[in-house]
Amino acid sequence: MKMNPLVSLRNISKSYGSVRANDKINLDIYPGQILALLGENGAGKSTLMSILAGKSLPDEGEIYYQGQRVFLTSEKDSLALGIGMVYQHFMLIEEMQVWENIALGQEEGFWVRKNKIKEKIKDLIAQYDFTLDVDARVKDLSMGEKQRVEILKLLYQDSKILILDEPTSVLTPQETEKLFAGLRKMAREGRAVIFISHKLEEVLEISDEVAILRKGQIVDRVATRDIASPKELALKMVGREVLLDLKPREIEPKEEVLKLENVWGEKLKNINLSLRRGEILALVGVAGNGQQELVEIITGLKRKYQGKVWLFGEEARLFFDSPKSRDYLAYIPEDRLGMATCPELVLTENFLLTLRHHFQKGPLVDYKGAERDLWSKIEEFKIKTPGTHLKARQLSGGNLQKLVLAREFRREPKLIIAEQPTQGLDIGAMQEVWKLLLKAREKAGILLISGDLGEALSLADRIAVIFAGEIVTTFSSRDGEKVAQIGFFMAGGK
Amino acid sequence: MPKLRIVKREKDLSAGMQLLGIFLACLLAVGLSMFLLWGQGKSPGKGLLVFLEGGFGSSFALEDMLIKAIPLYFCSLGVALAFKLKVWNIGAEGQYVWGAIGATLVALSGISENSWVLITLMILAAGGLGGLYALLPAYFKVRYKANEIIITLMLNYVAIYFLEYLVYGPLKDPLSFGFPMSPLFPEQALLGAIPGTRVSLALILAVIIGIVFYVFLNFTRLGFELKVCGESPRTALYSRISPARLVLLSMFLSGFLAGLAGFVEVSNVNRLQTSIVVGYGYTAIIIAWLAELSPWQIGLFSLLLAGFRVGVENLQLEMQVPAAFSLVIQGLLLIAVLIFSFFKTYKLKFKE
Repeated sequence: MKMNPLVSLRNISKSYGSVRANDKINLDIYPGQILALLGENGAGKSTLMSILAGKSLPDEGEIYYQGQRVFLTSEKDSLALGIGMVYQHFMLIEEMQVWENIALGQEEGFWVRKNKIKEKIKDLIAQYDFTLDVDARVKDLSMGEKQRVEILKLLYQDSKILILDEPTSVLTPQETEKLFAGLRKMAREGRAVIFISHKLEEVLEISDEVAILRKGQIVDRVATRDIASPKELALKMVGREVLLDLKPREIEPKEEVLKLENVWGEKLKNINLSLRRGEILALVGVAGNGQQELVEIITGLKRKYQGKVWLFGEEARLFFDSPKSRDYLAYIPEDRLGMATCPELVLTENFLLTLRHHFQKGPLVDYKGAERDLWSKIEEFKIKTPGTHLKARQLSGGNLQKLVLAREFRREPKLIIAEQPTQGLDIGAMQEVWKLLLKAREKAGILLISGDLGEALSLADRIAVIFAGEIVTTFSSRDGEKVAQIGFFMAGGK
Repeated sequence: MPKLRIVKREKDLSAGMQLLGIFLACLLAVGLSMFLLWGQGKSPGKGLLVFLEGGFGSSFALEDMLIKAIPLYFCSLGVALAFKLKVWNIGAEGQYVWGAIGATLVALSGISENSWVLITLMILAAGGLGGLYALLPAYFKVRYKANEIIITLMLNYVAIYFLEYLVYGPLKDPLSFGFPMSPLFPEQALLGAIPGTRVSLALILAVIIGIVFYVFLNFTRLGFELKVCGESPRTALYSRISPARLVLLSMFLSGFLAGLAGFVEVSNVNRLQTSIVVGYGYTAIIIAWLAELSPWQIGLFSLLLAGFRVGVENLQLEMQVPAAFSLVIQGLLLIAVLIFSFFKTYKLKFKE
């Protein structure tokens, strides 16, 4: 590197209790470069970046900005230096509009000059080729759109260092492409982009350099062009060879567990779907094409729609009123922290969320029994946690997802709705989740909503493509001809 | 240049330190109050003495404290229950008034000669009316997304005016020489005191309800659902818990508890009169907040704030301090404890 680093981290250490999340880390960040931070869950990537973003303080170590020592005691300090971060869990005000969220805290002077602000945002949107309505309310946006709002927040204040924590985990392939194009543009403008990811291909595609973290230490730092294959990178990251191929063997589908007949909703148009026990149906499509509404209807969260939904041969309305519905249907939502779990509740309580009727003694809850059960699940699913009294928010994404899966599979459901089940997981955890889903398929029908095409193709028996609220086509994942055309279908082609 | 930084604590404070903190907060509040006394040209030293003696200094004072603490305790439990669900019920005052009305109507109805039956009915009527009165804003909240803070607050005035109407009108005691008060309750309607004291038997009821409250919140399925819903309504929906149902339930129970306080009060003063409305429902909000919604701490703070009330009454009598001084002390205490609770999660660090 001929250039001087923009920011240098020196001997950064940070411990949480007995866990050493960062152990004497040294890292230089150069302008105009996309640096990928790669590591398994709990390797310390997020901790390191939250230190750089001013969100947490290091126990030891120094940070230099253009050669000068700085103390980043708050996110404000970091932002003032042009260091901003897009977290996995978005920090947006749901009730406010897109432009309000972006301009929040950066108003100049007394008056809010709405039109001027909006113009500036629209320029940025055009500049980076994002698609976004500045007047929309954040709560109505898809995860991908919310992410763009977060990025725009940083660009709006002209941040020089952008940190993105698992940015593609909520995106479809198309959205990912767009994001990458935007990131490359930002790098060309001289910004530094730090990209935290588990997806190896992506890291190879987007980054100029890769820093690999393992157990709180940087084990390697290599120029991306010197890396021959994702396998090599994976090896460096986990320290052991992992398989990236997983071919499901087909099993005989059993009775129908889910059927949608001419369902119309706010976004949905005439949806017809059928799912049998013993098969995995992947619903693929660009985020925001009606997937969310479809899932809400099937899981009973939304009851206003036209058409018929049949669950286990019963009409949905009847099904949800029957005690059967407590265990027959399991839902693994995209939003792990905030929907599938309560961030402030301890693990045992989170374990009880959908299992409380299994641990009931009269009006009382059998916390002891639940805790015993949870411990056995912690071992079975290899959830890394020091105990059951941790709060959900203290668990890393992968471990939290394993907890959710352990809980949902504990109910032995016959229909599983899995929404982006491996988003933000490392390869090890991802494979475990895949194996678990394939195993669950023996007893259940699985509707997999995934933005990861590779995941959909390697798991699903059938694939349905959704576009603009319509199911464009459904085909077998072995139909090579159709599979090759998926991109075409996802863009609405028929 | 030394720099002061605010750092989040990694571990919770030990119980001893917390107790010390609360003690220091009380000291600060009392100290500031005495400073205000000094500002009025009165001797703070004597004030402190009169205050402490009046509030905590004699068995008479302690009895007075307990008597006032019981209705405060019930109101605070009720408020805390709603707060658990992040429903801001500030209508305990009104629910308390309805509880008093309910108990009075039963007491004066002559429905039963048996003391047990009559008192049980009084409790049910008091709790029931208080609960129903809280259900009203809860329904509006659930059905029309109406803001419960405003509605519960306004309903307090409705309840108080209705009470006044009753004691000036239909329930007025013909023997009261025109004073606005109901007739005295029959003997059977009186709860009576713990032998050898002036403290009402309601103390026992308070202990029982406190235990039930604790068990309900911490060990029952409904309590668990309440906790989940309070933390995250989205997770509640996901777990197939209906937030609307819980809001209705918790508000009813919240009003029920405030209603019980109304029963305790009228069965202690033996009649319904306007002077029972002394702002217990508002003090309860402070207590619930100070106690962080824990039933044991609510007990503790109910006693403390009741003691403050009694102490200030003594100040009023002996040193001609305005009645509002009681509110001032309460406010100061709240601020002091809030300052302390800041240091519970954060600490200051000096950096060179």
